[in-house]
Amino acid sequence: MSDATKVAAAASSRDPAVGLAAVAALRGLLESLEELQVSNARAQGWSWQQIADVLRVSRQAVHKKYRRYGF
Amino acid sequence: MFERFTGEARHVVVEAQEEARTRIADEIRTEHLLAALYAVPDTAAPANPALTVLDRFGVQKADVLHDVDRLHAGSQQALDAEALSTIGIDLDEVRRQVEEAFGPGALDRTRAALGGKAGRLFGHIPFEGSAKKALELALREAIRLGHDHIGTEHILLGLIHTEGGAAHHVLAARGVRLEAARAVVEELAGGRKAG
Repeated sequence: MSDATKVAAAASSRDPAVGLAAVAALRGLLESLEELQVSNARAQGWSWQQIADVLRVSRQAVHKKYRRYGF
Repeated sequence: MFERFTGEARHVVVEAQEEARTRIADEIRTEHLLAALYAVPDTAAPANPALTVLDRFGVQKADVLHDVDRLHAGSQQALDAEALSTIGIDLDEVRRQVEEAFGPGALDRTRAALGGKAGRLFGHIPFEGSAKKALELALREAIRLGHDHIGTEHILLGLIHTEGGAAHHVLAARGVRLEAARAVVEELAGGRKAG
C-alpha cells in the first residue's frame, strides 16, 4: 500500500484512536501557532484588543493567556 | 550520592539536562546522559575517562549523537506528524512555512510546543526512571571496582548496565559490552595509580 493510500485509508477510518490523536495533535499545533502569532503581533506593537479582534476572542481571554509570557 | 561525583561527572549530569532540553524531551533519559558524556571536554586527560573507554571500542562522538537523534523518530513530534497526516495536514510543510517567516525552530520552540504552560525552556527537567537507575548503578560500579570517586567512566558503566535504557542499546549495537568496558576502566585506573 502506498503512503498516499495509507493516509487516505486512515482519514476515512472511524477508529477513535486515529481520529482523537489527530485532534490532539491539531490542538498542539494550534497552540504553537497562536503563541507564535500573538508574540509577533505584540512585538509589532499590536494592542491586546487588536489581537483579540482578529482572533475573535475577548481581550481578557487573550491577555490572561499570554501576558505572563511577557509578550 | 552526588558528593562522590567528580567535577566532570557532575558536569555530565548538568549537560544531560541540556541534551534533553535541546531534543525537546520532557524527561532526562539514558540517551541524554550518553550524549552528555561528549559535551564535557576531555582536557587534562583523563578528566573524562568515559571518552577514552568509548574510543577503545571504536565508538566515535558523531556515531553516538547520530544514534541518539535517531531515537527520536518515535517521539511525540513524529506521532503528531503522523496523526495530522490522517486529516490531510503536512506538519513538515507547516513547519517549513512558519520557519520561512520566523526562523529555524520557530514552531518547535514555543512554550506550547515545549510542553506545559510554564514551558521547559528554563525549568527543571526530571530524570526518568532508567536514567536514575543508571546513576545509581554508576555508584555501584565504582564500589565494585574499589574506586572512591564516581567519574564519567562509572556513569558510562552505569549506562551500559541499565538494560532498560536506550543508551544500553545504542552502545550494545556498537559492540560495547559491560565486562569488557569494566576491564578497560580498571586498566585506566591502574595506569593512573602507576603513573
